[in-house]
This record gives sequence, C-alpha cells and structure tokens, in this order.
Amino acid sequence: MTSFRYALRDTFRLLFRHWGLSLLTLVTAASVLYILGFTGLFSLNLRQMISRVEGGLVVQVFMKKGQNADPVVALVKTMPTVTSAAAVSPEQALEKLRAKLGNQARAVTLLGENPLPWSVEVQVGRAEQIAPLVRDLIAVPEVEEVLYSGKLVERLTTISRAATTASGTILVLAAIISTLVIFNTIRIAIYSRREEIEVMLLVGATRTYISLPFVIQGTLLGAGGALLAIAGIWGTYASIMNAVRTSLPFLDIIVDRRTLLQFFLLLFATGATLGWVCSWLAVSRFISRASRAK
Amino acid sequence: MDIRMAGVTKVFDQDIVALEDVHLSVDSGEFLYLVGTTGSGKTTLLRILSREYIATRGQVTVGDRNLRKIGRSELPFYRREVGVVFQDFKLLSDLSALENVSFALEAMGLPPRIVQNRANEVIDQVGLWRRRFLKPPQLSGGEQQRVAIARAMASSPSVFLADEPTGNLDIRTSEEIMKLLLSINAAGTTVLVATHDRNMVDAYRQRLVELHNGRIRRDERRGRYLLDDEL
Ligand SMILES: Nc1ncnc2c1ncn2[C@@H]1O[C@H](COP(=O)(O)OP(=O)(O)OP(=O)(O)O)[C@@H](O)[C@H]1O
Ligand SMILES: [Mg+2]
Repeated sequence: MTSFRYALRDTFRLLFRHWGLSLLTLVTAASVLYILGFTGLFSLNLRQMISRVEGGLVVQVFMKKGQNADPVVALVKTMPTVTSAAAVSPEQALEKLRAKLGNQARAVTLLGENPLPWSVEVQVGRAEQIAPLVRDLIAVPEVEEVLYSGKLVERLTTISRAATTASGTILVLAAIISTLVIFNTIRIAIYSRREEIEVMLLVGATRTYISLPFVIQGTLLGAGGALLAIAGIWGTYASIMNAVRTSLPFLDIIVDRRTLLQFFLLLFATGATLGWVCSWLAVSRFISRASRAK
Repeated sequence: MDIRMAGVTKVFDQDIVALEDVHLSVDSGEFLYLVGTTGSGKTTLLRILSREYIATRGQVTVGDRNLRKIGRSELPFYRREVGVVFQDFKLLSDLSALENVSFALEAMGLPPRIVQNRANEVIDQVGLWRRRFLKPPQLSGGEQQRVAIARAMASSPSVFLADEPTGNLDIRTSEEIMKLLLSINAAGTTVLVATHDRNMVDAYRQRLVELHNGRIRRDERRGRYLLDDEL
C-alpha cells in the first residue's frame, strides 16, 4: 500500500519533471492512434458499404404451376444465412407487372386466368452465400426456376473478399507500426531515467517498485493520446460526413452515433492497453538488462 | 554478517583476469582495508560482494547466502543488507541530499514517517543537517561522499562496502569520514574499505589486505600501508 502511494507520487514526478518526454510520448501516441483509428474507421465504412450492396441482392424462386410457395418458405426459414424471405402470390405478381408495364399488361390478362406462378424473394447477408443457397433451392421438387444475377454476385464476392483482406492487412500493419512506435518512444523515456533505475536496483528496490511508476505513466499517456486522437478523428470525420452528405449523398458512410461511440471506446481502450503493455515490456526488459550480474 | 571467499577468480572479456584464486575470510563485525595499486582488483572484489558481478570461479558466501545462488527476487533483499558507497557516489543529481537518502529507504517499501525520521537521523549523523536541501551539484566532493555514506548506512546494513571513500579529499575531511566508518563498524557492522589513502591506513591501523594483480599479497592484523619494497 505504501509502495503504491510512492508509485503514484513517482508517476507524477516522471510526468511533470520530465514533461518534455511526456509530451513527446503523448503526441506520438496521439498521432499513431489517430492513424490507426482512421484506418479502422475506413475499414468499418468499407465493410458496411459492401454489406449494404450484398444484402440488397435478391434471389427469385419461381414455383411450378399449381404449387404455392410454402415448401420454399419453410425451407429457407431453417437456413441461417437467409436474412429475409417474402412469398409473392400470383395476384401480387400481376399487380407488380401491371405497375411496370402499364397498358401492355392487359395482354397477360387477355388469357383470362392469371398465368403467373407463386414466387419467393430471398435475401442473404453476403454475396458468397448465394451460390450454396441457389443449389439448395433448385433441388426442391416444387421449384421451377431460380433467378439471380450470377455475374454480379461473382464480382461482389471477389470484391468483398479482397476488401476484407486488404482492410484487415492495413489494420494489422497500422497496429504493428503503432505498437512499435509507442514502444520505442516509451523506451527512450525509460532510457533517459536509466541512472535512477540503476541506483534503485543497487540500493535494493524490487522490480515492481521500480516499474510501477513507468507502467502507470505509460498507461496514462496511452489513454491521453487516445483521447487526443479521438478528438482529432471526430473533428475530421464530422467534416467528412458533412461533405459526403452534401456532395456524395449516395455514399453510405457510417453516421450512427452508437456505432461511432463504440468505436471510440474501443480506440480508447486500445490506447490505454498499448501504453500499459509497451511500458511494462520496455521497463521489464530494461530492468532485466540492468540487473544482470556481469 | 561474515564473508567467506574461497578460490575466487574473476575473468572479464578478452581474458582480463581481475581476481585470481582469492581466499578471504572476514568475520562479522570486522573492519578491513583493501589496498593495492590501481587495477589490482579492489573494486572488482567489492562488486562481487554487492552481486554486481558474479565470480567466474570459486565460492562466495555472505552470512548464510551463497551469492551464486541468489535469485532475481531475492537480490533486492540481499542488497538492503549490504550498504555500498560507490567509487563514483551514484547520487541522483535532481534530488536533494535528504531525498537521496529517503529515496533509498522508500524503495524498501518503508512507510513515509519512518523514512523521514531515519533519513533526518543519518543526514544529521554525517553532519549535513544544514545542507540537507542542497542537491549534489551544489555540494562539495566531501559532502557528496557523506551523502553517499548516509544513504548506504540508512538501511542499517550488516555489511558496509566503501570504495575509496576518502579519494581526493583533504586530510581533515578524510579523518571525519574515517571516524564515520569506524563508528558504523563500532555498531557491529562488518566494514570493507578499498583505499589508496596511506595517511588514513597508517593513522587508523586495522586489518589490511593487499591485492596485487588480482591476488592477495598481504593480509595483516594491523598492517601499515607501506609496501614490502618500501620498508
Ligand atoms: N567491467 C569490466 N570489464 C572488463 N574489465 C574490467 C571490468 N571491471 C574491471 N575490469 C578490469 O579488472 C581489473 C581490476 O579492476 P578494478 O576496478 O577492480 O581495480 P581497482 O583495484 O579498483 O583499481 P583502482 O584503484 O584504480 O580503482 C582492471 O584491469 C580492469 O581493467
Ligand atoms: Mg577501484
């Protein structure tokens, strides 16, 4: 308990007596987390845009004459990939056709009875889920035909996979670079205190006693850097949202406050954790080296 | 605590042999001068005792501890029992004299009131009460030396190691410091002093061990500094 009080006091000593290095660490953490945050936000937006397009894909299932849609509706209800399924009766189909064709639709009704079959409009979340779905639907004996836009689905599947890989890679790279930069900045800060650490070791301070102030300081600076980064990202992103709304309204970027808030909380936690882990690693490495007997 | 060294050899990189087959036995409460020409291995011997170095060969025990077997977690507790005055003081220049002492006590996890009382007490004992708020750069060499001594004695160690505590000091200051070391020894602490200070060695005769090229050449109960060829 006593040691913890000393640790807190020493943390503030570290922070303010050597404010130049604290500031350097803070600014570095903020810049690095700003870039990391933006990369994350970009990936999130990309993912959302693609999934909107993917979710809009419709598979049309036409039933054989005299069959209603029940067998297909019952089947797709058991499929976890299906996000929605709507049965369309011949009457509804005719209505739609009329609305589309206007006067020419009369030709259809000239025959007297409605020639259109029952059909079902099925939607899934991801483009790559369409191919297996279609395979299952064709196998249903009551189904006459399954229609979907094959080329588009293929392309979307490819784009979606590529986008996931690319944004994942960029994110991982950004995370690695952030960690390295923060780690090395903290290492410099610790190196500048080497005399103090060495003397502490020589007079019999425990490793925990020596590292605690550095770890608390690292966590605080990481968290502080994250707050600055969040403020910066919020400012930039707000103006991007405005610009998109006025000049590119079809672009479907994330504006949902809850999603953004969650994202910022995650970034904050990342900053604090990075500061904590990096300073802990750096200081334990340093202490191990310094206390190794020659 | 007593010190036993048996067959201790220390070889550094590039085959520099700093100590060779040293056998040394110091009883609890003894006072011992370690003399010898520059590079003869005095500092190396003290650093083996403070566990900054590990002997290449041979056995070293201090009290009931085998220094080769001290683990990472036990080392801090061993160091608290061994007070060291370093040849280069190792004071922190942005802390005051008093803080340099209390900092070491805090590092042992003692509560603030005990730290304050003890730090004030030892700073007073080394005669720096009026200068306790000055930082090392504002203190003279002898005063810095005394801060280093105060810090080393603060934890009431059982073994006290001093590396040239009177180097570069005038005779009067040296005498004060010698009296300080003798008073630490009078309290029952085992004291080892590495020194070149023939005035002090001859004025305050104690057991004397002379190192020569890393080997013990003399070990006398009340030895004089003068070397054999000077006699
Ligand atoms: N860390 C080290 N690495 C390599 N060689 C070392 C190291 N420390 C000491 N030595 C060598 O060991 C020998 C003994 O050095 P030591 O410092 O023990 O001498 P000393 O008796 O204390 O000398 P002085 O009176 O000048 O302080 C010297 O030759 C020195 O160069
Ligand atoms: Mg020396």
